[in-house]
Amino acid sequence: MSNLTRRSFLKSATAGTSGLMLGITIPASALAKDKPFKQDEFNPNAFIHLTEDGKTTIYCGRCEMGQGISTALPAAVADEMEADWEQVTVLQAEGNEDKYGPQATGGSASIRLMYIPMREAGAKAKFMLEAAAAKTWDTDIKNCYAKKHFVFLKNSDKKLSFGELASLAATMPAPENPKLKEKSDYAYIGKDLKRHDQDDVVVGKRTYGVDTKLPGLKYAAIVHCPVLDGKLKSVDKSAALAIKGVSDVVEIERLDVPYGSLGGVAVVADNSWTAQQGVKALKVEWDAGKNGIYDTKTYKQQLIANVEKPAQVMDARGDATTGLKNAKNTHSATYTGGHLSHSPMEPNASVVWVQDDSCEVWASTQSPADIQKVLGQFLKRKPKDIKVNVMMAGGAFGRKFKCDYVHEAAAISQQVKAPVQLIWSREEDMRTGYYHSTSAQHLQAGFDDEGNVDSWLQRVAFPSINSLFDKSVKRAPKGATKDVFNHPFGIENMQVESGEALAHTRIGWYRAVYAIFYGFAFSSFADELAHKAGMDPFEFLNKLYDNNTNPKQAEQIERSKAVLALAADKSGYHQRDKLPKGQAIGLAVHYSFNSYVAMAVHVDVDGDNIKVLNVDCAVDCGQILNTDGATAQMEGAVVMGMSLSLYTEIVFRDGQVVNSNFHNYPVLRINEMPNVRVHLIDSDKEPTGLGEPGVSPFPPALTNAIFAATGKRYRDLPIKPISV
Amino acid sequence: MTKTLIINGETVSIDVDESMPLLWFLRDRLEFTGTKFGCGSGLCGACTVHLNGQAIRACVTPVGSLADQSITTIEGLSDNGDHPLQKAWLDNRVPQCGYCQAGQIMNAASLLSQNTQPSDQDIEMAMQGNICRCGTYQRIKKAIRDAADELAKEA
Repeated sequence: MSNLTRRSFLKSATAGTSGLMLGITIPASALAKDKPFKQDEFNPNAFIHLTEDGKTTIYCGRCEMGQGISTALPAAVADEMEADWEQVTVLQAEGNEDKYGPQATGGSASIRLMYIPMREAGAKAKFMLEAAAAKTWDTDIKNCYAKKHFVFLKNSDKKLSFGELASLAATMPAPENPKLKEKSDYAYIGKDLKRHDQDDVVVGKRTYGVDTKLPGLKYAAIVHCPVLDGKLKSVDKSAALAIKGVSDVVEIERLDVPYGSLGGVAVVADNSWTAQQGVKALKVEWDAGKNGIYDTKTYKQQLIANVEKPAQVMDARGDATTGLKNAKNTHSATYTGGHLSHSPMEPNASVVWVQDDSCEVWASTQSPADIQKVLGQFLKRKPKDIKVNVMMAGGAFGRKFKCDYVHEAAAISQQVKAPVQLIWSREEDMRTGYYHSTSAQHLQAGFDDEGNVDSWLQRVAFPSINSLFDKSVKRAPKGATKDVFNHPFGIENMQVESGEALAHTRIGWYRAVYAIFYGFAFSSFADELAHKAGMDPFEFLNKLYDNNTNPKQAEQIERSKAVLALAADKSGYHQRDKLPKGQAIGLAVHYSFNSYVAMAVHVDVDGDNIKVLNVDCAVDCGQILNTDGATAQMEGAVVMGMSLSLYTEIVFRDGQVVNSNFHNYPVLRINEMPNVRVHLIDSDKEPTGLGEPGVSPFPPALTNAIFAATGKRYRDLPIKPISV
Repeated sequence: MTKTLIINGETVSIDVDESMPLLWFLRDRLEFTGTKFGCGSGLCGACTVHLNGQAIRACVTPVGSLADQSITTIEGLSDNGDHPLQKAWLDNRVPQCGYCQAGQIMNAASLLSQNTQPSDQDIEMAMQGNICRCGTYQRIKKAIRDAADELAKEA
């Protein structure tokens, strides 16, 4: 009986003991065959490990959170290496930027940063395998070629498997500048690939940060100070400590670094549920401090006031003030949006074991180096002495870039002298996060005599992410407003202003970041201007682009117009007059994170009942690595865009978040899922990312569609806020 | 005498506080981590398992209430990961992060056990308690339809 109990010991990321270990700049001398290799003796960037039985391990240095990077990049390595993808195992690399390159996974940057270095690692491996074969056959390397895990001798039936060649290959010099494959020769890049981990997912074997089990593991739950910069006034621990199974109550002080804990009280027990019961039994009083005044309803009104009057000029070309004064026609509008919580399905979770001479972490994370840095600061140790096992994240969307939850687990482990698993409750995850900025934007545009928009004023106000790093930041800085100024619409007189917006909570990156509200304002306002001008929005958008004569933006304009045209065509936009009453198609296009996405949203509106029937997404992200992965990212972006368009908003009152769980922070569910059709542009351009760019076009395409269907213009997101 | 329950065909002692939700009994006591914690309030479906073949939310079901009952988790849905839904999930490449998918699959299996040919509306009704933040709903719908078709062929 009870023989089901098992210990799932963690797979070590260190594989094998001999064979070819190769990275970007590994000296070949380090690969000697008879010297049992220890990874730590090598450096840097060891992405490939091939053993004598042919088993090939490819390490992914970038963090996986569902975006599919641990398939896309390793498949590119396998392609260049001529490895058989079926014989490749992908492992998540531990936190080590010296070895694996930049690992902070955000900004849709993984493919942009690592596409070439990882392909080069694969190409070097192939060269060394071919060199080993050439040596074996005593021939020139030119007579050897690798294909699907073998090296063949030209004009003969001789072949050697990668496994047979592994040891000898390890002694071959690595080429300086390996030749990369031509597009026509790609075996995996740009193809339709299954994720390497889906087989494990469907049987419940994929393990996440929340799933780490270790011998002697203790379980913790936590309640945080609900207000930024507040303090613990008092805590009565007696009822919690009286619960059977509760071993400790640990006070955690606010660590005043950007990714440190807000401060809180944790309960430690022999299982998570008992720890949660312990937290419920605590009697805690907090001193809210100066942010106890934060109320998002009044704050948003203040943001609106701050953008409806002159603010700090961040960028200008021409003279928008005069242009607006002399304009034949003008139009203005104000748009707002609320705070958003990332709310990935896996709440913040990690295991940390702090010992006198070591500290090991198992965490769902987007940035292992930040864990090393923060824990190093907290424990007063060197960052490289913090070992971080990067676990699969059950969703992240920007939240798991910050490691406050890991810091807390470390603080508890240090105190109770055991490995500790801390899992945040959904309520804590929702109430003490790093939120997407609530925002207000005021736009004014002026038309010249020919009906061209020649003046554009955009005032933005939102609490800035920079406030995390510098509390004196009172408004969005130029780094956050430059995307407005650089928008590729052709506007002669342009002025961008930033209104005051002091942060009263922690602000963080949320999938698509600024593009959420900038995309909403640009594409909504352009639609309003089209209607004002009596023009078809599609024609009007093209005109806005065509008026841009800046040669530096020519490519941007061409690619933006191409995705717009594709989305419009595929959606039946040009035949929209045939749609039944109540139905319409809205368009939006936005360039963000170096990628181009346009959406056509087809709605059926009956009173307050808004049904999204179809969404056509057109995408240009340069060379695509995995067409299935790109498609999935767009489908997911539509769902997230639809959640934040319709429902999601974090509300603060008296400094605290009022929402608590999915009943009062409703996200999109399957019954509202539209039919999403993704149209990928086949491109040879430099590959860019797709984790974020799909989110921003959805909200304005939706509200533009609703306007076309009903004449009602929604300028405030979400359009169906829940009262909490 | 200690109560017992049956998990994936094996008898297990309920050797914890009986009010502990089944979810934490599975995850922390038995270390069956395939069943996920998402909300703790029966709102998201990540913890869905079967009680005598029907979907329940393990996060709000006290383990003590399950004496002599039979529980199936994702680990026990099929012998070799070959339930028609698991196959359809792979054919349609449903998972992104995958965290909610055990709950989605278990809920879908419960649906198909009661309704072998669900309409789109039936699928939406049955599956709307399961949240996916990555946004895989379109593929989930398709996978359930495919699995239903496959089951119809087998029948």
